Amino acid sequence: MDRRNFLTTGALSSAGLVLFPGNLLAKETKIDNKEKLVQPLIYKMDGEWKEFELYIDIHTHEPAPGYKYHTLAFNDMIPGPEIRVNAGDKVRVKFINKTDLNHTIHWHGVHVPWRMDGVPFVTQLPVMPKNEFIYEFVAEPEGTHFYHCHWGTLMHMQAGMFGSLIIENPNDSIKKQFPYEREYTLVYSSHDTNYVREEMNTMLERMKQRSYLMKEERFDPEQWAVFDNKDQFMTSIENGYQPPYVTNRRSNSDLPQANWFTVNGKSYPSTPYVFIKSGENIRIRLINAGAETHHLHLHGHDFWMVADDGVPIDNPWKRNTVPLTPGKTFDIIVEGKNRGIWTFHDHDTRKVTNNGLYPGGNLLALVYEDLPADELIISKHSGNPMYNSKAGMGDMKGMDSMGNEKMSNRNKMMFGEDKLPKIALDE
Amino acid sequence: MKKIIYIAILFSGLANAQITPEFEIGAKGVFSGNLNLNSDESSAVSDFSDTQLLMGLRQKLYNNWRAQFVLGLQFPDANSNLGEVFYNNIFIRLEDQKNIVKLGRTLAKTNLNQFPTLRDDDAQQFTYALNPFSDGVNTERDQYANVLEYSHIFKQRLYVSLHGENFYDSMVPDDFRLNSIGASLMYKVPLSQRWNRNVIQEIGISYNNYFTDRLGYSNDFDASVKNLLFSTTLNLKPDPINFIDFRLQAIQNFGWKEVVTLNEYFDYTRTESTTVFGTFRFLKQKLERPNYQISIGGGYKSLPNLEVDSNQLIIIANSFYRIGESFDIGLQYRYTENTGFTESLFGKNEHRIQLAIVYSFSKIFNKQFGDREDLLNLEHNYLR
Repeated sequence: MDRRNFLTTGALSSAGLVLFPGNLLAKETKIDNKEKLVQPLIYKMDGEWKEFELYIDIHTHEPAPGYKYHTLAFNDMIPGPEIRVNAGDKVRVKFINKTDLNHTIHWHGVHVPWRMDGVPFVTQLPVMPKNEFIYEFVAEPEGTHFYHCHWGTLMHMQAGMFGSLIIENPNDSIKKQFPYEREYTLVYSSHDTNYVREEMNTMLERMKQRSYLMKEERFDPEQWAVFDNKDQFMTSIENGYQPPYVTNRRSNSDLPQANWFTVNGKSYPSTPYVFIKSGENIRIRLINAGAETHHLHLHGHDFWMVADDGVPIDNPWKRNTVPLTPGKTFDIIVEGKNRGIWTFHDHDTRKVTNNGLYPGGNLLALVYEDLPADELIISKHSGNPMYNSKAGMGDMKGMDSMGNEKMSNRNKMMFGEDKLPKIALDE
Repeated sequence: MKKIIYIAILFSGLANAQITPEFEIGAKGVFSGNLNLNSDESSAVSDFSDTQLLMGLRQKLYNNWRAQFVLGLQFPDANSNLGEVFYNNIFIRLEDQKNIVKLGRTLAKTNLNQFPTLRDDDAQQFTYALNPFSDGVNTERDQYANVLEYSHIFKQRLYVSLHGENFYDSMVPDDFRLNSIGASLMYKVPLSQRWNRNVIQEIGISYNNYFTDRLGYSNDFDASVKNLLFSTTLNLKPDPINFIDFRLQAIQNFGWKEVVTLNEYFDYTRTESTTVFGTFRFLKQKLERPNYQISIGGGYKSLPNLEVDSNQLIIIANSFYRIGESFDIGLQYRYTENTGFTESLFGKNEHRIQLAIVYSFSKIFNKQFGDREDLLNLEHNYLR
């Protein structure tokens, strides 16, 4: 093979679309989809306490087929399992740290006793490697909340240490106003996987040193950059200590720049489907556990904004795009009024990418279960004469001479099974 | 016209699909004032030899291997006969989790240890198996060769290497044929696990067989210069703040029995010799960074087959203090003693004092994937 032929072959094999057959309404799809939704955390009762167990460990995560990276994960899943309790429940969470890093858990939006708030060196000491901590609180207020690690938050949250915490009200005003049977929790995040990898490696290496010194009780505030109080810190600076943020210890910032965007830990084409039926209301709990804003837009519908940070909205309003800022939760109600397959995605399209390649990221679909299979056939329902051999194409240059059989073969070559939706990974 | 469009699409497609590789840059600047006492070599007001620049471009291949192209240059000694700049590294490296292939010019397996000296060649005659094809005018021809090397890694730490080299031949400089083969076996604790506090950080042996011409011998093996290296690095006090290690390397050159005098440098690399060199190093760390380092070492070389008792001795001591990230100031004292034939070949005993500023930097830009020796890959499932 000469060089020219080699180049041609290489270009052909790497260019263009990659298409896979798919059937949204198949039983297997629904079974598979369950794994893409948040997983419930089972509790056991201890007297009047609902007792949960969360552990953290290093995990290999695959947001989209073929791409893996190391993460931190609660109970070996991203997001961590969903804790779902009733308002007023007494909740006990046993947290086990299986890693060689420090961690805590912060209960975002929950009115816990301040000693349970999970802020290291403010409300508690960090949960050291191979140690445990018991969190106890009464579940309040009602609504959509989440939990996340509050140690090294910039890295640990990106690395996957977050999960949903739903506090239900048996007399939920939202359910009364918009009766629904099914609900979905969608936890959004963004990740600079290079930053996560480098930072985790650095921290793990550093902890090997620190653990050794800790065991020998050779704690040094300057070495650890942890001071008892401001006076001690200022005295250290006067004596020549240079904090790690000054420019002779650190050059210009290497702040993370997210290259993967996930919903429930998955990026398109692994993102979950949200199923609905005509005439049905569904509730979607939106949580942003990442550091980027997501302008979420639902095609073909307006949805009701019914809760903001878990707080029910007295007079819900309609919209079709919502800016889900970092740390924010919104609850929305979608009414099944427009049968079809509808994209629900970030309208900041930089975040509908995988490693910079569109489409990807947090692109997902609202799917009507009562959609007739017949409507999924491309050649039958596509308005574009390109795909329909029965439509008139006499005006299209070159097409007039293409027979039905030839066109059918071409469609098959380009689109495989004559069904929607496809998975497109356009380069 | 159609053809032109197709070609344009083809090439723009290739351009879009191109990967921007990881870009690694390493730099070392060594600037010293040298005071030579009782020496044939003059003192120097500003010696910047051994200053070097290294660039590497690395990416993943389609089959989950990684490939790296490395280009490096070095400023050699003024009297080295190598010109102003010597391109010491020009090679391709292919690797996966357990295999490494290197092809091109790079460091040969003539040294198994990195001793804490100001410059890499400060104790050259004690720390390298010397190139028997070289006339000894420079040290670079002992360190670097055109290499084809394959290594397999067992259990993350045991490196088995087979290699062939074309060492520079001063007599036939345009001969690029294979003139050396060898094998080595090294146990190495990855750098990222150095705070696991293992006592043995590295230990290994290497065998080099140089295909020299030897009068009266037609068999390649019998005509070869052969040497065996043993090296180890022991962490005597693997403490993250007060760290002490000991490094040792021994080189046995099996030599030729007929070389009993040293009339020229070629005899020096062909006669039997036993060399031992070792250093003790104390490293003080502050804020998880090096603060200062003190080391003392020495070596001895005996050449037992010579008619006249001829030995060499070296003592080397230095200290470095970190004045800022990547910048150190250092003071080094070196004493060398030559007796018998080595005195006539290399000169009398010499004292050298050097005051230096050293800059050293290494960083990978556009990082895209983990290294084999990252802790995550070592301890938490290697990602291809």
